[in-house]
Amino acid sequence: MNLRHVYLTLAKELREALRDRRTLAIMILLPLVIYPLLSMLAAQVATGRDKQRDERPSTVAIVGAAPARAALAAHIQSNPTIFILLSGGTPTDVEHGRLDALVELAPGEDGTLTVIYDATRDESRTAEDRLDSIFAKSFPDGCAPRFSAQKRSVAPQARLGGYLLSKALPLFVVLMVLLGAFYPAIDVTAGERERGTLETVLCSPIRRFDLMLGKVLAVASLAALTGVLNLASMAVTLMQILRLAAQNVVVDIPWGHALLSSLVIFPAALLFAAVFVALGATARTFKEAQTLLMPVYFLTVAPAMAGAIGEYPLRGIVAWIPGMNITLLARDLLVGRATWSGGLATLASTLLLSAAALAAAAHIYDSERLVAPTPRRQRVPGAPARTTSAGDALVLFALAFLLLYFVFLPLEQRHLASGLLIAEWLGLFGLVWLFARTSGQTFKNAMGFSRPRPRAMLGAALAGCSAWAAVAIFSEWVLPVPKQLLEELRKSLIPLDGTRGFVATLLLVAVTPAICEECLFRGPILRGLRTRFDSVAAVVITAVLFGLFHMDVYRLIPTALLGIMLGFIALESGSIAASMVAHFCNNAMLVALASLGLDRPMETLSQRALTLLVLASLVLTATGLALVRGARHRPEV
Amino acid sequence: MPGPLAVLDSASKSFGDVLAVVELSLSVPGGEIYGLLGPNGAGKTTALRMLAGLLAPSLGSARVAGHDAGTSSAKQRLGYLSGSTGLFGRLTPREVLDYFGQIHGLSRRAIGQRVAVLAPALALDGVLGRRCEALSTGERQRVSIARAVLHDPSVLILDEPTSGLDVLASRFMRDFICAERARGKAVLFSTHYLAEAELLCDRIGFLHRGRLIAEGSPTDIRAQTGKASLEEAFLALAEEPGIPGEPGVLGHPGGPGGAP
Repeated sequence: MNLRHVYLTLAKELREALRDRRTLAIMILLPLVIYPLLSMLAAQVATGRDKQRDERPSTVAIVGAAPARAALAAHIQSNPTIFILLSGGTPTDVEHGRLDALVELAPGEDGTLTVIYDATRDESRTAEDRLDSIFAKSFPDGCAPRFSAQKRSVAPQARLGGYLLSKALPLFVVLMVLLGAFYPAIDVTAGERERGTLETVLCSPIRRFDLMLGKVLAVASLAALTGVLNLASMAVTLMQILRLAAQNVVVDIPWGHALLSSLVIFPAALLFAAVFVALGATARTFKEAQTLLMPVYFLTVAPAMAGAIGEYPLRGIVAWIPGMNITLLARDLLVGRATWSGGLATLASTLLLSAAALAAAAHIYDSERLVAPTPRRQRVPGAPARTTSAGDALVLFALAFLLLYFVFLPLEQRHLASGLLIAEWLGLFGLVWLFARTSGQTFKNAMGFSRPRPRAMLGAALAGCSAWAAVAIFSEWVLPVPKQLLEELRKSLIPLDGTRGFVATLLLVAVTPAICEECLFRGPILRGLRTRFDSVAAVVITAVLFGLFHMDVYRLIPTALLGIMLGFIALESGSIAASMVAHFCNNAMLVALASLGLDRPMETLSQRALTLLVLASLVLTATGLALVRGARHRPEV
Repeated sequence: MPGPLAVLDSASKSFGDVLAVVELSLSVPGGEIYGLLGPNGAGKTTALRMLAGLLAPSLGSARVAGHDAGTSSAKQRLGYLSGSTGLFGRLTPREVLDYFGQIHGLSRRAIGQRVAVLAPALALDGVLGRRCEALSTGERQRVSIARAVLHDPSVLILDEPTSGLDVLASRFMRDFICAERARGKAVLFSTHYLAEAELLCDRIGFLHRGRLIAEGSPTDIRAQTGKASLEEAFLALAEEPGIPGEPGVLGHPGGPGGAP
């Protein structure tokens, strides 16, 4: 690594970025102007509303036949600018806004009364306040009270500050750092390509890793600066608000802890900068980069938000989830309960992921890929008139997901077997068929179905029969499935009480998903993504979508891992027939194990036995994949 | 005559199914200006990019000053001017030169000395402190040249250096190229202005659909074809029997637009 080159690129990128008005607008304008401006506007609006309320007389009525009624009415009527006294009314009038408050006098001399008001309506609350002051004026000091009125107290906001801040601040930090990294990352990658400076840089004697490290550090610096400025501005605004409201509100802000928790800005900035730069490097234009980064922005916000909302402890797998761990570490630092293990795990995972993203960025930022023209699509005689694009793939996934969520899941909840069958055959298989029809492709071509070599089929079967053990044990280690959930899943899908026979279960749980899910995921989705991404990226994205499609956090990891294997098989064999076989074998093995009652004893296997099982599974899977590798008949058209 | 400094040896380049350059061989020694001529999409830019190390030949090889193109050693000895000016708009020319000079291993002092020589030669004295985005096309091009020759490379590759320039700026550029030749540099440049090539080049190579269809001095080529101008000579060569006609899907030379 040439540190001088890294430094030079860092300095150059920073200088360029700081001279860019758009960057400056997001980084400085937002925190320094928007928050104070917003708080000022909010204060002005609130003051205006208060004044309006003060000027408006409250409409009240007195009911009840107590002797004090006449005296009270006289007091109220003596303030005509404040009150309009009506002759009667009901609590419903208050509810519907016809009356601001109703005074109900209890019969007798003891002066008991109830003020009925609507606490959700400002005018009604003002009327209640005004009546209170009328009651106070009615009784000179030293006199026994003639009325006993229930008063409403507003709960003080003492000691809420730290807790409230821990809910908002960590997420805010992540959001601001994300925002700060967003535009500069695009500018130093796709922007460079669009401005025509890419060739000049790439034919200079600077290593790509050094170049990208400089760019990532520049983006991270800007993102961190955005985070720090936002926090500083927010702190100043908060202090101003507290000063103004000091008489009424007692809020305990743990400033020391807040400062400490703001340190997470720096690892967060590095992570988001590396990820965004890696993504930006794949884009051809600024616009394309924005399109690519936006979903990732939201994907990153999601775990951060989950961390902010949920009461998750920062340990175990949670400490390794990027975005979420940063939010949780900031929260723990803020409330003073951070642990070394949680902090170190967060730091380690952030640095690892940043390094991986940086390596990917350096790999992607290759002149061969960036400078070479995009080949025009040429019509090969005999080839279909239209092929599936990456956009088609994402639209298909979105449609399948929406159909499943809004249509088929409710059906499955009513009756699992029939709902599942309809979801798979109509929602997936039918969707691909419809796509093929509307896009002018043959169904076979849309799916990528062809006759694979026997070697590929054998390898797929071997991998499908053996991968489940390694996948299941790894998933259980990462994110253990609660026993109750596992039991429910087992009962619903593979009932052992004789309500569904082995063959029927096999058809439902193995054959159907193998055909329908492969038809969509390793069909148009993988093929479409392959037109935009390289093989590895296309397989991984498809696998993640496949995992998400199962809508179960505990099945996300195993299905995504299985998806990677199936994607590899489909691409290497050149046909989804092989991935269908692998998918079938995987699911059939699970059905067979459950039917033979072998799954439960596996849960109690010793560590040594589990290790041997995983090793055997990995060796057999690798053998199967080796058989599949390079088994396609001819290059993909 | 010194040995060749820029060499393409049976270099071919394909993008997907499209062949942009087919078995192109050429060599340019120091002190020579070699013009790569041809219409849009002929493969000129792709050929130059292979020498600049931006694209790896699918077949064959590219070498710069005895080093494989694309290696750090080759890049140290190469000055490349792309079709776009390739300047950082928000930096000043001085900052651009400082960045690239240091990337090429020059000390700040050495950069200062080079800039002191180049600025008057390229009429940059008045613009060094202004942002590149505020410069005229001619000024930007002159800054780009300064950037390309700052580290005193032995090979200069210029992709359509006079494209978009006015008469004065084009003349300036031509004079500069001649001056570099006089300093012993190997200059390889592409253009589709045949008259310009006739004025400048010691040798020219005609590229047509990715293939080198003729090579030699302008006088030789005119004599070979019996035509009075290079333009007529090129047209005659392009229409000669044996020159590949409209291509199929595979073997389509020229590439998608040639110079994206």
